[in-house]
Amino acid sequence: LSFLECSWRFCGRFKALWMKAALPDFKIRELTENPIGGRIIAAFFPPEKERLDFPSFVRILAHFRPIGKNRSRDRAQPEQANSRTGKLKFAFELYDQDRDGKISREELLQVLRAMLGLQVTEEQLRSIAERAIQEADLDGDGAISFDEFKKSLEKVDMEHKMNIRFLK
Amino acid sequence: MPSRMGARAPAGFGRSFWELGLLLLLAFVLLQGSVFPYGADASSQHAKDGCSSTHEGKPNRTKKVFPVLSFEYDHIKTPFEVSLWVLFASLMKLGFHLVPRLSSIVPESCLLIVVGLLVGGLSKLIGESELPKLDSGNFFLVLLPPIILDAGYFLPIRPFMENLGTILMFAVVGTLWNAFFIGSVLFAVCQIPAAGLTHLGLLSCLLFGSIISAVDPVAVLAVFEEIHINELLHILVFGESLLNDAVTVVLYHLFEEFSAFGTVTVLDGFLGVISFLIVAFGGVLVGAIYGILAAFTSRFTSHMRVIEPLFVFVYSYIAYLSAELFHLSGIMALIACGAVMRPYVEANISHKSHTTIKYFLKMWSSVSETLIFILLGVATVGGPHNWNWIFVTSTVFLCLVARVIGVIGLTFIINKFRIVKLTTKDQFIVAYGGLRGAIAFSLGFLLEVEDEEMRHIFLTAIITVIFFTVFVQGMTIKPLVELLAVKKKQEAKRSINEEIHIQFLDHLLTGIEDICGHYGHHHWKDKMNRFNRKYVKKCLIAGERSKEPQLIAFYHKLEFKQAIQLVESGGGGKLSSALPSTVSIQNIQPKKPPPAPEPRERVLPQLPKSREEEIRKILRSNLQRTRQRLRSYNRHTLVADPYEEGLNDLLKKQKMFELEKKIKEMNNYLSVPVATSDSPNLRRARLASGRQTDFKPDEQQNGKKQTSDPQAYNVKPDPVEVPTIQVELASPQSPDSVNILDEFRKDKEKDEDTGLTMKPPSGPSAPPRKQSGEEDAKDPQKLTRCLSDPGPSADEGEDDPFLP
Repeated sequence: LSFLECSWRFCGRFKALWMKAALPDFKIRELTENPIGGRIIAAFFPPEKERLDFPSFVRILAHFRPIGKNRSRDRAQPEQANSRTGKLKFAFELYDQDRDGKISREELLQVLRAMLGLQVTEEQLRSIAERAIQEADLDGDGAISFDEFKKSLEKVDMEHKMNIRFLK
Repeated sequence: MPSRMGARAPAGFGRSFWELGLLLLLAFVLLQGSVFPYGADASSQHAKDGCSSTHEGKPNRTKKVFPVLSFEYDHIKTPFEVSLWVLFASLMKLGFHLVPRLSSIVPESCLLIVVGLLVGGLSKLIGESELPKLDSGNFFLVLLPPIILDAGYFLPIRPFMENLGTILMFAVVGTLWNAFFIGSVLFAVCQIPAAGLTHLGLLSCLLFGSIISAVDPVAVLAVFEEIHINELLHILVFGESLLNDAVTVVLYHLFEEFSAFGTVTVLDGFLGVISFLIVAFGGVLVGAIYGILAAFTSRFTSHMRVIEPLFVFVYSYIAYLSAELFHLSGIMALIACGAVMRPYVEANISHKSHTTIKYFLKMWSSVSETLIFILLGVATVGGPHNWNWIFVTSTVFLCLVARVIGVIGLTFIINKFRIVKLTTKDQFIVAYGGLRGAIAFSLGFLLEVEDEEMRHIFLTAIITVIFFTVFVQGMTIKPLVELLAVKKKQEAKRSINEEIHIQFLDHLLTGIEDICGHYGHHHWKDKMNRFNRKYVKKCLIAGERSKEPQLIAFYHKLEFKQAIQLVESGGGGKLSSALPSTVSIQNIQPKKPPPAPEPRERVLPQLPKSREEEIRKILRSNLQRTRQRLRSYNRHTLVADPYEEGLNDLLKKQKMFELEKKIKEMNNYLSVPVATSDSPNLRRARLASGRQTDFKPDEQQNGKKQTSDPQAYNVKPDPVEVPTIQVELASPQSPDSVNILDEFRKDKEKDEDTGLTMKPPSGPSAPPRKQSGEEDAKDPQKLTRCLSDPGPSADEGEDDPFLP
């Protein structure tokens, strides 16, 4: 993982964090305030595993690496983690908790509920979710597949958005 | 300013010549009108003297005949001339669009300068010496603020903030580099004995450099508006032109002070830096304070909607003047004021006030810009000139060179910090878009140096540079953009998906940043949002809206747009995907949740097309009759805005349409099962909610109808109507609202108004459907009339939600 090589620079910071994470009562204060904090943490842990090892941690963070210039050897690899598709896939998986490859209305509702919380009524949430699905759903199955997700975000500058600067 | 092609395309070239000729004739007559009174002045004086002397009763004066028609020009002179000039400028603007091909080749600013030159030349021929000057007082206090306020109020905050570092680099460092480079090289050039300019000291040259180095927002706006490049480049050049005002102000005053003394010490340099910080941040602070005041004031204007726009304008203008009072940067104050107050004010004011503000700002800034360019042309002809070949040509050359070097150098440094790099193409456009304009000219005009000759040399050079940049660069930038295939502005139609996902990503990124312990961009943005939501919004936004999250606001906005667009397109026919309407819609009260549509599969009978036509014809004729019952419009009793309520109902209706669209087979299907019944429960609820009105249809309008048609969709009634507005007994209804009321009128109500009886929905399924078909066929008629104001240009930027 070439990313690993780059990250040795910041290894110190990672290591410290990772040590903290290894402790059983790992809590990052801000994450508790974050509406999707739980999902983010869950995304780090591979399914069925209770512990996170360093390569997996790094693998997740690799999604947030800014897209650099294409190097020839990278092109040989299939989907790069920090390519646009890789980033989108990561975001998609955060929505799609049951991993069935689609964002159903319920899943979308859950996300909306988490983000908007107590400030809106249930009907409003429902209608927003309904509208969102209507807009994005091209094949009419009532859920958003990964391709539809990609398409609905085609105008958004993902490369710019999903980046942590120091991860270059 | 966006060039709007007139709706009336001239039939032929000959015809357009006629019109142009007529316009010119009119303009000439107007000018003569302003010139002629100078002669008449003398005679009116005489008449006045004559009259006064008879009053005194001097015996040796003969009694004059009482003047039945007298001519007294003096006391209306100034307003009259100002109005004539404004009228003339606007007519010119109209005229350009009558000549079809001209406005696409030549940017408006060039044409206006040419017109100014012509006018100046004409008046010089006539011998009139009293031309309105592009006086610095006029310019800075009257002509410039509307343009800047327009820019600041509608500034797209998100791209601005994202690129703030880059913009600041260009504005501050770039301008400094420009000023010093041009100043010092010019000084070197002046040392050449052949130029005859050896008397220009270093400080004078630096002063000149500081004047000429600033990119001008007016010129940039005028040109860039017409080429529609992508958002990033636009905000870079435009932001730079706005923010470099602080640098210009400081440099200008610094060098002006010291060119008298002739020496600058290190201490002065240090003080200059401090001064810059004070000017910049002070300006922003002043603007922000007034912005918050304006937002706070707008919280209480719910009872006096008519003067809402006034607060926006007056507070902004006072902010500008206050900043100028302390020699702070007035432009930055204005921008800060507009940008700060906008999200809160927009949440508070009515939809109509919002439209008013938008239109007034566009109108004023348009007129201002036109006047500025025309007067620039006039001043060129009239102004004292001192043409020095070497000075002028080297100035022009140096401006270009300095700009290019500056941009390249800065981009090299900036790209190290940017994620999305600036390509060579981008750099070229940024460099090429560095236009100079009227601000440089006014600053030159303001100069007070003992050496008048020097001032004239400067002015000539400034004008030449302005002409060069506006004409040459302004005209060629459009073909260059095409040639280089620079990315154009995307027609941004933000979908609800994008909104949701963008917010989701913001949270995600914040979370990741927290995990990494890296306090980045998102972290601070999140903190600011939280602070904003918890404290600021509560203070500055009235009532319930303070709790409304942005996503909801955006969603409502979208729904509104779609509803309006649906209605404008003539009913539930073809529902294309939501195109943003040209009228920006105000947020509605969040307390009215749109009903949750429950999709159900069913087959509805179709309305034959002829029937549809029949229905439409009947409705149209009925609308004429109801119109006559309207009361007059009295601004003192204008309280409620039932239009907005009606729109809300329409919104719900539109949801029905959407569902219909999903299951209908034919395109021309027109049916909505919103039957209008009026169950006693609803009535009671409405009355209890405190609306007192004697205008019965009002009640209708507010209640959402419950349908007892088993096959119709269930619309959840609003248990809580949101009458935060009291409708007074004598409330006048604008034509729009009355028309909306019409459709909900039952035959229990005033029958004589509607020639059409609407059967109650408890009948068999066919009539309600027909009835509702009539209803929504009515909609397009009414609301098209309501929404008859086309925007200046479908300006997507403003319609974007104010998400940071």
